[in-house]
Order: sequence, then C-alpha cells, then structure tokens
Amino acid sequence: MLNILVCVKQVPDVNLVKIDPVTGSLIRKGVPAILNPLDANALEAAVQMKEQYGGTVTCITMGPDQAEEALRECLAAGADKAVLLSDRAFANADTLATSYVIASAAKLLGKFDLIFCGKESLDGATGQMASQLAERFDASQLSCTEEILSLDEAKKTITARRELEKGVETAQAQLPCLLTVEKTNYHPRIPNLKSWKASRTAEILRYNSQTIPGLDPAQIGDPGSPTKVPRTYPPEAGSKGVMIDEGNLDKSVEKLAGLIREVL
Amino acid sequence: MKNKSEYRDMWVFIQHDGKTVEPVSLELCCETRKLCDAAGEKLAAVIVGELSEAELDKVLDCGVDKLIRVSGTGYDYLNVDAYANLFTVLCRKYAPSAVMVGGTIFGRDFAPRFACRLPTGCTSDATELVYDANTGDIEFVEPAVGGKMMAVITVPVMRPQVGTIRPGTFKYAPTGKREWSVIEETVDFPVENIRTRILDFLQEETDESLNIADAEVIVCVGNGLKGADALPRYRALAEKLGGKLACSRPVFDRGLLPYKLVVGQSGVVVKPKVYLAFGVSGAINHVTGFTDSDLVIAVNSDPDAPIFNYCDYGLVGDMDEVCEMMLDRS
Amino acid sequence: MVNYNKLTPALAEELGGLLGEKRFQYGDAVKEAYSHDEMPIYGRFMPEAVCLVESTEEVSAIMKLCHENRIPVTVRGAGTGLVGGCVPIHGGIVLSTERMNKILSYDMNNLVVHTQPGVLLCDLAADALAHGLMYPPDPGEKTATVGGNVSTNAGGMRAVKYGVTRDYVLAMTVVLPNGEVMKLGKTVCKTSSGYSLLHLMIGSEGTLGIITELTLKLIPKPVMDVSLILPFQDIATAIASVPAIKLANLDPQSIEFMERDIVDSSAAYTGNAVFPTTVNGKSVGAYILVTLVGDSEAELTLKMDRLGQVAEQTGAYDVLVVWTDGLKKDVWAARSAFLTVIEAETRLLDEMDVVVPVDRIAEFLVYSHDVAEEYGVCLRSFGHAGDGNLHIYCCANDMDEAEFKGRVKAIMDKCYAKCTEFEGQVSGEHSIGHAKKAYLRESVGETAYGLMGAIKKAFDPDGILNPGKVCN
Repeated sequence: MLNILVCVKQVPDVNLVKIDPVTGSLIRKGVPAILNPLDANALEAAVQMKEQYGGTVTCITMGPDQAEEALRECLAAGADKAVLLSDRAFANADTLATSYVIASAAKLLGKFDLIFCGKESLDGATGQMASQLAERFDASQLSCTEEILSLDEAKKTITARRELEKGVETAQAQLPCLLTVEKTNYHPRIPNLKSWKASRTAEILRYNSQTIPGLDPAQIGDPGSPTKVPRTYPPEAGSKGVMIDEGNLDKSVEKLAGLIREVL
Repeated sequence: MKNKSEYRDMWVFIQHDGKTVEPVSLELCCETRKLCDAAGEKLAAVIVGELSEAELDKVLDCGVDKLIRVSGTGYDYLNVDAYANLFTVLCRKYAPSAVMVGGTIFGRDFAPRFACRLPTGCTSDATELVYDANTGDIEFVEPAVGGKMMAVITVPVMRPQVGTIRPGTFKYAPTGKREWSVIEETVDFPVENIRTRILDFLQEETDESLNIADAEVIVCVGNGLKGADALPRYRALAEKLGGKLACSRPVFDRGLLPYKLVVGQSGVVVKPKVYLAFGVSGAINHVTGFTDSDLVIAVNSDPDAPIFNYCDYGLVGDMDEVCEMMLDRS
Repeated sequence: MVNYNKLTPALAEELGGLLGEKRFQYGDAVKEAYSHDEMPIYGRFMPEAVCLVESTEEVSAIMKLCHENRIPVTVRGAGTGLVGGCVPIHGGIVLSTERMNKILSYDMNNLVVHTQPGVLLCDLAADALAHGLMYPPDPGEKTATVGGNVSTNAGGMRAVKYGVTRDYVLAMTVVLPNGEVMKLGKTVCKTSSGYSLLHLMIGSEGTLGIITELTLKLIPKPVMDVSLILPFQDIATAIASVPAIKLANLDPQSIEFMERDIVDSSAAYTGNAVFPTTVNGKSVGAYILVTLVGDSEAELTLKMDRLGQVAEQTGAYDVLVVWTDGLKKDVWAARSAFLTVIEAETRLLDEMDVVVPVDRIAEFLVYSHDVAEEYGVCLRSFGHAGDGNLHIYCCANDMDEAEFKGRVKAIMDKCYAKCTEFEGQVSGEHSIGHAKKAYLRESVGETAYGLMGAIKKAFDPDGILNPGKVCN
C-alpha cells in the first residue's frame, strides 16, 4: 500500500492578470484563482499509481482559506484526503519557508513513499519547490518524468522515463521519491458525479502555525524566507519598431521580404 | 553565523560530461566575472572530475581567478545526492558569496537542494544580474507573473546567494585569462548513498528541427495561431528562409508544438540573424528569449500588441495572410 | 435572368474616391479570399471590386451608384459561411462589413446593445460578459460577424434553451438596394404592428437589404453553470437519451452530441485529449454534452442528480462533471474545434445542416451513413442533439473532384429527401446560399418558393443584391 502525497498550489490565472497602466501594479481583482495546471498532471500521475498499486493519495497545500477550492478539485479528481495549511504567519513565504511548513505538517500525516508536485507554478515559475521539498522529505528526486514504468514495493524502488535535454533517460530511484511529471501522459481526469459530489462536502484537514507541533517561527513566512523582492516594475516598453505600412499589405510584405533579404 | 561581508568569492559550477563543458557554464563565468569586478571579489570555477586542457582553457579564458578542482567518489554521473552534498561541504568550508549554476535540468534539480540544506536563498531564471554596491547584494532581475512584471530578487542576509540561470541568457564573451590559482579538493560521497541509478539513456535521434538555439532564422508563431492546420505554412516559410520554426509558450500549452520549440525565459534563448514573430503578443518572458537577434520583425493583427515595442519592424495584418504572401516572395 | 453591367474604370474611380485607396480593392488588387467562403467546393468567384465600408452613409452612397448602374452587390461579413452565401457568383462588388466592427453602446436599462454588423461574435460575447450580460446565441463559428449571424439566423449550441439569433434582434438599420436608409424594429420586446419586415430581413442572406446597424437583446448572465459529459456505447443509445434529458425539467442550456471518431480527431488536433475514450473499463462510442445553468451550487447539484438518474436509466456509462473553468475551456474548445478539425483533415468537403425532429436524429444519422457508404464517401457528423440540428460532412481525400461532386450530389439528394420525409428543414443555421437552393425549393414547395421570390422582387426589383441566392 503506497502512501502518496501531492503538493499543490492555488494560483491566479496569470493570463488574466492585467497591469494598472497608471500605478504599474498588478490588478488581481476579478482574476480567478485556479489549481496550478501542472499540479493537476502531478495529481493524475499520483492517482494512477494508487490505482495500480493500491494506497492513499493525500493532497496538501499552503495558502489562504480560498485555496480550499483547489483541494476540492483534487478530491474530485481522485485524491483521498486534503490538507490545508493556512495562517497569516505563513504569508510572504519563499520556497524555502514553504517547503519547511509543508514538510513539517506532512510529518503529522505519516511517512510517504511517493511525493508528487507540479514542475513549476504558473505565477512564480521558479521550479524550485520540487527540489526543496525533496530535500525536506529527505527523498530521492526524479524530475521531468515522462512516464512511470514500474514500482517495486519489496525493493522500494521506482523506475521512470525522464525527458532530458539531449535524450530520454530511464532512471531508478529509491523510495521515498519525489517526482515531477511532464503533462503528455498524465492528462487530468474529469471527475464523475459521485466523486465530484463527495468532494464538495468532504472534510478538509486544517493546520495553522499553532497546530503543527514544533514549528520554528523563524523558519516560516517572511522571517523564514531568505529571498526578498525589494521592488517590481513594469517591463521596459522597449523602443517602438518601425511600423511598415506601404498603403496595402502586398507592398508592405514586399518591403519586409526585402529587409530580410538584406540580412541573409 | 558569519557576517555577510565575511563571505567572499563568486563561484560558477562548471557542468560537463567529461568531454565538453556546457555552454551555459561558460556564459555564467563571463557574466559573473563582471559581478566580481563590480564587487571586488574573485571568480572561482568549480570543476568536478577530469577535463581536457582545451576545455579548461575555455573556462580560464573567461577570466577565472581560481579553479576549485574536485575529486572523490560519487561523481561518475550527474546525481543530485553527491553534488548537493559536495556543494554543501564546499560552501561551508570556503564561504563563497554567490554560487551560480546553469539552469539545466540537472542544475535546477541540485542547486535549490543544497541551498535548502545550507540553508540559504536560491533564485532561478534571472535575465539580468546587477551588483548593488550599497548593500553588497546581487540583484537577480527576472520576469514575473507570466512576464507582466519585472521582479528584483535579492538574498539580503544569508549567503551564499544561489542562482540558477537559463542557458543562453548571457553571452559567452571571454575577456581573457588572468592569473589563477588552483585549489584541489577531495570530497568522497559513498556511492551506495546515491539514491538514483541510470538504467538506460537513449540519445535523442537528432531531430535537427527541434534544435532552435543556433538557428540563423527563426519563424516564431504565437497565440494568434489559429490551429494546427495553420502551422504548415510557417514551417514552409522557415524552411524557405533556411531557418527553424519556433513558438511562444501558449502555443506549447495548447499542445500544438513541443516544449523544445518554446522561445523565452522558461524555454530556449535564441540569437538568430532574423527573428520573425507571427501572432506573438510580446509578453516579456517571451521577449527575453530573442533580444539578441539581429533583426526582429513582428506581424500581428492588433496594432497595440506589445511585441511592436520589441521589434525592429512591425506589420499590422493577418498572420496567415502575411505568411502566405511571404512564402510567395521567398 | 437580369443582365448586369460590369464595373467600369470610371465607376471604380468614383467608388475609390468614396472610400479611399486603402478601403477599395479593384482589379488585380482584389484579394483571392473574397472569392469564396469556407466551402470552396461550391466554386470560386472573384468580385470585380471589394468595398471595405465603415458607415451606413457609405453603404447608401455605394448602393445608389450600383443601383443606377445595375452592378450586383454581395455583402460579406467574416466569410465563414458554408453555403457560398457571401460569394459574388454574378461578379460585381463585394461589400465587406469587416471594418464596421464597433460595439456602439449598451442600454443597461433595456438590456440591449447597439452594434455595427461587422463585430465578431466572440468579441460581442466577451464584451457583453464584461458588462455582466450575456448574448445567448452561440453558433460554433465564433469568428463570424453578428451581421452574418443575423443574415443567416444562426442558431448554435444554446438554442435549446434560449432560441436562435432571430429571438434577439430588436431593431436594425437597413440600406435598401436603391440606397435608401430604413430603420426596422424598436427597442421593445413586443410588436403587433403589421408585417414584420424586421423578421423578413433576418435570415435573408443579404438578398433584401444591407444591415448596417443592429440592436440586440441581452440577458443577465447566469450565475453559474456546469457542463456534464455522458459517455455512451454508440450514437443510437446516446441520442435515445435526449428526450429523457429534455423531459427531466433541467432546462439545459445546450445538449450536444458527438461521435468518437471526431472526438479522437479533435484530441489529436488540439493536443488535448480532454474527452475520456474509456470510461469504467468500457470503450466510448458517442457522447452527450449537457450544460446546465443555475443560481447556486445547490440548485445545480439537484439538477445534476436528476440528470444522473436519467443517465443511469438511458445506459450512459457515467456522468462526468466539468466544473472548473479550466476543464470547461478545454472541453468546449475541443467541441468548437470540430469543424476546423474536419477542414484540416479533408481535401474535398461538402456539408448538410439539416434539422430533424429530435427523436429521429439517430435514424437519420444511420440512414445518411448507410447512403454515404453505398457511394463510398466518408461521413462525419456532430451537432445539436437538443434541437435536432445535425452537421453532416461528406469528406474525401483521394478522389477526383468531379467524381466527388457527383457522388455527393447523389448522397444529398437522398438525404434531403429523407429529411423532408421526416418533416425536417433543409438548413438549421448555415442557410441556403446558392448551394442549397434546389433542396429548399423541393422542401418548401412551389407556392412557398414563389412567394419568397415575390418578396425578393418587392425589396429588390432589379435583383442587384446578392443575385443567385436563396430563391432567385
């Protein structure tokens, strides 16, 4: 029986985020929060492992109360348990502090054989969480997994095909292992009515900084985050290119073709 | 803990396969050289295992002050366990102010991990590095929120400042050798403690069309692309111009083209003679992927598309129509 | 047969002067795209000139000129039609509304929008939503213009709940063939005031007048919605569930059917295999996709429960809940891509857009597939199960074009005859154009067809508007 953890994140749909042209700040109002798309692929891989080898899939996230919706989506799509880590003290955490909180809370839930997480998040896109979670869980690491080939419960190993820069690697890792998956083979499933309804009323386990025993306040939230963002600014607009308009498209394209010919 | 001013020297991890050094490691040496000059610190290259004279020369040409040459068990193939341990040990012993790691898949796997173990702050995918003399910190500048913002990331208290940087972000522009010293280190990692084994490696059949990094001409399609059936004409145009087809991130997200063709911050950085962007909106995380192109031409039906701010020449029009017309003329 | 005049260089110069060089294409400058719509099998006909108009006044001035000189005028929106409706088969001028693409104003008290006809459906739909409102008609082709939608009385996926384009047109500005400008309809919801010229204009395919402005009815947007996928063994069992779904008092916004092969093609094309092909261990042959709307999750849950019961009784393998925005987008993108997918995979293509009573959909599909097989032509179909509107495509890749046309004619003759026998309609939403004229005539009979001709004559005595279409 496998004990599987999937670490997920609720993110703003950055495609819909706009910039205030006056203040240059992000307009988050009205932007829907969604389950990080690559996390859904990770969940699907986890659920497929459960279906093949038996076990339990637990989803965990750190975020505000609204992140509950992302967890319910996971429950509908095959997760058995959902855990929300929510506390003001967790706010402004970077990956180091976040991985610390998640790993600390996960200790309350047992020992995990497999940990899955999305390759990167839509909003942060640092792609560091996986490695740092692996470190916190003292787990081996298989990133960029294209397909999980087998799992040997007796030898406690997992074998997977990874898509690397210059080719495809077949690698074997000892459990516990943290995996990130490519989306090709792990399309998120559409829940059926029964599991969807169950997900809407399922109990969600909640923890805060007080209910996770032994949590070091210096390692969470803003104080626990070594990276800071002293400032942000809108990208430089660059210099406007020369717009070609020769009266009609034909002539304009001719001009472009000429410019290209000059360079080549 | 030491005061941060006690941490000196900036390191670059030299990733290699025993034969050649990854270009990104050389790019980082050149860029970090500038930071060292600004900070008055030394540039050290960390090389694990043997490397030919010629390859070593390329590293030294970047103006390296120190070579940290590592030997020991556990480094026969790239693995997170031995390398994370190695950098933990070395950083604790030598206290560098920064460690730069190429943002290869391996680099992105092991660098955040040793940063977590030390612990210290780790940043990824910066497109610009600036040394701030007032604070003594490196500013890692990177596009954020899908390229809608630029964010400055710093590690103001802890050291070293760890950064993974995508291949192609900086130029390999060697400034020449300096006097250098060599530090020999032996750090053994018990082979039985490596938790991953490589059972098999299949070199990808070299599908040259997927190698866009060195293409002389790139025809890039963006989210304006109507669908897969619209693709052949762009592929044809790329071929006619002697170049390659590429795309922006949303086209990959739509499943229309493979990840290896994505130009941008989280994809491939390209430097072609001609970059032709069709239906690309111009989010900054895409733009950072082609800024070093000689000639950038953008075609978009929206006259207000941001891409027109990042091109040499722009044309407002239907991308398919313009592509067809260019095909006729090429 | 009316004799038309050719556009003389002098007239062309006058038109060019009216519009300026950028908005007037003449002779060699005319783009090939204006010679056909999305069904090139019906032939390509180059216009003598293309006018990219921007205002009612310009349309009026052009019509006056053309009226005086007997030049045929064919109005064109986005050119996404499938029956050659906007193709100038007698030459003359194509009058394109693509630049009349401004949404003019919203009247939030009367829930209407004033718009130019060249606004794209997708743009209007999104803009209305941003105003908290919904424009209910939802034809599959989102890049069609609303003017084109009105001219064809387009239907779409939500017709089963909200009705068709006709039900949302309150008023319009029309330029008559002689250049006279006329306003039809008012911003009110009732009228018992004489013949409805407004409704004659709707669905008239640019043969009676040119629509230059529209007042469209909007509704408050539904609070929430959910889509559900019901996978079935085959198309017959899938379609058989539709009457039961409609009886369950769910007031669904749409009920679509799709067969496995098109779902597979769509998955390959969009790279997003969102529809599962195996459900509970069973291979899926056909799907019913239902959208429900409601004011609360509780209301939707009740409706879903009822749908779940129907699904079980009618042999659905399961009920899949498309709840998140991401999934909805993927599912409906896959559905909306069907025609594009067929177009991408097919060299020779022809289509039928028949409507049959809902309980005869399966029968009609079986019949048409049998006929097509008899003639060795591949048939692909999808459509609106809720209202019996079927999109059936005859496809071939390795066939001579003349051979294909011959075989397709034989297939269509039989299918349209069957459709008439089933008390169906020739076209649900794609219209007649010049491609389906003969079938319209057969379907409605000589008396009705003659009356249509008389109406055409009353509006356009010289027959200069979109000649050769619908009924002349």
